[in-house]
Amino acid sequence: MFNKKKKNNKEQITNEQTEMQEPTKHYSKNELKQTLEILSKEEFINLIKEKINSPSDFIIKNVTDEITIVYIDNLIEVKSLTDLTIPTLQNISDPTPQTIKEKLPLAQIDISNKLDILIYELLEGAALIHTKENAEIIIAKISSYQSRGLSAPENESQVIGSQVGFNESLATNISLIRRFVTSPNLCNEKFEVGEDTITSISLIYIKGVASEEQVNTIRQRIESLDVSGLIDSAILAELIDDSSKTVFPQMLLTERPDRFCDGLLSGKIGIMMNGSSMGIVTPVAFIEFFHSKEDQNLRWQIGTMLRLLRLFAMIFSIFLTPIYVAALTYHYEIISQTLIVPLSESRAIVPFPPILEALLLELIIELLREAGSRLPTKVGQTVGIVGGIVIGTAAVEAGITSNILIIFVALSALASFTTPNYVMANIIRFLRFPIIILAGIWGFLGIMLAVCFLLIHLLRLTSLGAPYLAPLYPTRLKDLPNSLIRLPLSIISRQAVNTRKGDEESTKQKDSKKVSE
Amino acid sequence: MKQATQSKQYEKINAFLIFFVIVSCQIGVGIHGFQRVIYEEAKQDAWISVVLSFILAHIVVFIMFKTLEKFDGLDIYGIQKEVFGKILGKFLNLLYVIYCTFAFFAVLKNYIEVVNTWVFPYVNARFIAIAILLIVIYAVTGGLRVIVGISFFSFFFLLWIPPVLIFPLYYSNPNFLLPIMEDWAGILRGVYLMSFTIVGFEILNIIYPYIKEKERKNANKYAQIGLLATFFLYITIMLITIMYFSGPQLERVIWATLTIFNIIEFPFVERIEIITICLWLLIVLPNLCLYLWAAYRGVSSIFKIELKKFIWIFASIIFIFTFIIRSRTEINTMNNYFGQISFYVVFVYPFLLYLFASIKKRRRKGTGDSS
Repeated sequence: MFNKKKKNNKEQITNEQTEMQEPTKHYSKNELKQTLEILSKEEFINLIKEKINSPSDFIIKNVTDEITIVYIDNLIEVKSLTDLTIPTLQNISDPTPQTIKEKLPLAQIDISNKLDILIYELLEGAALIHTKENAEIIIAKISSYQSRGLSAPENESQVIGSQVGFNESLATNISLIRRFVTSPNLCNEKFEVGEDTITSISLIYIKGVASEEQVNTIRQRIESLDVSGLIDSAILAELIDDSSKTVFPQMLLTERPDRFCDGLLSGKIGIMMNGSSMGIVTPVAFIEFFHSKEDQNLRWQIGTMLRLLRLFAMIFSIFLTPIYVAALTYHYEIISQTLIVPLSESRAIVPFPPILEALLLELIIELLREAGSRLPTKVGQTVGIVGGIVIGTAAVEAGITSNILIIFVALSALASFTTPNYVMANIIRFLRFPIIILAGIWGFLGIMLAVCFLLIHLLRLTSLGAPYLAPLYPTRLKDLPNSLIRLPLSIISRQAVNTRKGDEESTKQKDSKKVSE
Repeated sequence: MKQATQSKQYEKINAFLIFFVIVSCQIGVGIHGFQRVIYEEAKQDAWISVVLSFILAHIVVFIMFKTLEKFDGLDIYGIQKEVFGKILGKFLNLLYVIYCTFAFFAVLKNYIEVVNTWVFPYVNARFIAIAILLIVIYAVTGGLRVIVGISFFSFFFLLWIPPVLIFPLYYSNPNFLLPIMEDWAGILRGVYLMSFTIVGFEILNIIYPYIKEKERKNANKYAQIGLLATFFLYITIMLITIMYFSGPQLERVIWATLTIFNIIEFPFVERIEIITICLWLLIVLPNLCLYLWAAYRGVSSIFKIELKKFIWIFASIIFIFTFIIRSRTEINTMNNYFGQISFYVVFVYPFLLYLFASIKKRRRKGTGDSS
């Protein structure tokens, strides 16, 4: 479904079939072929019906003898049709498209005789007004958006800070963003992607702050998308990623407008999609997945402590169980004497080797977590009880696992939940499994091989061309105060080097040359 | 000047990263057991050998930079072609590539031996070799940016060593350092033997064109600071080793550093040398990557070959060699040979190259003026 096909523009123009499927692209390119001639009422209705395969919710309303309205039920706002449009039309004595356009008390009215535009607007929720002996049709855009109200972001909750999250309507989301950033430089570019879904995508950035080059890259990537449908921005993010082979996301999905706008202000590029409550922010560095908006709302000392705590929790969560496995399988000599007594006591009745024991318990924790997240909240509590008491205590008493491993696994699961980003938290839990297996095979050497591999992998990754491990490597001293730690606002530079345009002077010169040319 | 254009802008590195490259490239497998080798020659004055060899290294780095600055934007392979003509230059490049390969192999083999001796006596060395080679291949295909990145991060994995060295101080006896300066000839022989441990900074010869142009004049400074950092680590370890072991005991210890780590105890961890050896994989990795990358640069200056192709050929050659050299004595002989070769390549050759280069430059200037 999401194959990126190579397109041939010439073929499209000659091929009538594709033309019909992609009216939006013609809309913008002005390559329309089929224009309407003067049609009678019946001819017009039949033509439209035929084009949209005569659906059952297609409604035809005869206002007067000369004026006919067609629309698709549920897509339009009935109130403005019955209260505003129809009474006005009834009072018009001389119904030409121009007079109707002037007299209708609606904000968005267009006139067109291009069939593709008419069909597209009809499906978007416009009412088409046909008048006798006129080729041109009036498009009254009175579409109604069904969307839920604004609510607090559930996946990225925070104590201090704004409590509003995006919803599924692109218009609402953009209005939210515009309330945060009122600057006239806020650019909002529209794209329409998906042959069948024709999804609206907004590319949002602040001109002069965001890097022109990166905006161009994103623009190209979105334009070259060729998919039949897009349902969520997570899929969009995967499609326009630098590398989709890696588990690490290179674009940040957020449902917080404040975080989104914070990104825009620091020169990042935002993408919003209709129908998705998640905005995409790019480019992002690895470290930023461990930031929460709340760090900045708290005092810098506390913010720093929280960030360091999360990083520690990440390392702790990935390596605690593998270290247990490695130490108990191969390197028991490193465990100090005081510690080895309780350890061996608790492991004495366990029949499995440490690697099996650890994999089993990790799997149980993952099962509990997955079950908890799929179940309704009321039943979810039961899962916690089952997990905590039945499996935890019973497993030890039955001699399947050792007490200490239960503590380790529970701690590392807990630590993985501190990662503010859900996607990254999942990756951290997923990473543990291969490392446990490597630790079971080669002990600490296996863990180190995994560390080296991860390090190289992260070094190789880029997000929109910007290095993923910045500002640690390549070291950007200006960005360090707001990466691992969070220093006072007076020290933090406003814009990250990653998104700065013209990092090198040479590129700056090139840019100026281009402009002069 | 072809090579200067080959090093693309995005691959260029900041000058201060040279510090990390130098430190990570110098600290490798030698640090595990260099004390005994030096001690056998210089006795209690082994630390003076360390001091002298580092002074020599500082001078050599200075000369290297002088040579490189003469041919701005060229690495040693380009310079050799320029100075000695195409055919002789290519031959010398080949020798340098062989040297890099030898260095790569020595590092890999020594590390695997340490792992086999201390941690996993029964794991087949070839499997460890394959695993490490795969990691190295993955790193080098990422380009210089990734390789330098590993050097950068590996430095931070070294920082825990100096504080931990306080523990053996409790058991050390400063009297073992006396009398000072007994045997000058022995000290100088110690300097000569130190070369196996100290080399690594010759990578500057190859990495120099990849430093950002504007910052190149600072590179020398960062390289010298890097040398100083490794010097402090080596001298501390050497001094503590001499004070910790009695003479005859030290002569019987192959990996003195690891033996010292043996006695360090924390409330929850003992025998940290096992952790150290495994952790050392990340310290050894930049060594391997940089030597492999240097070898590739050399080969590509002789004939055109793709990086991926070369890496796989290189890795398989190294892998075949692991079958040939196996026992402790063989590794010892190899280390001795490598030490001797590296002494000439790293400590003697730069002076000669500088001499030839300046003669060549002067002559060309002369002809340039006359025409």
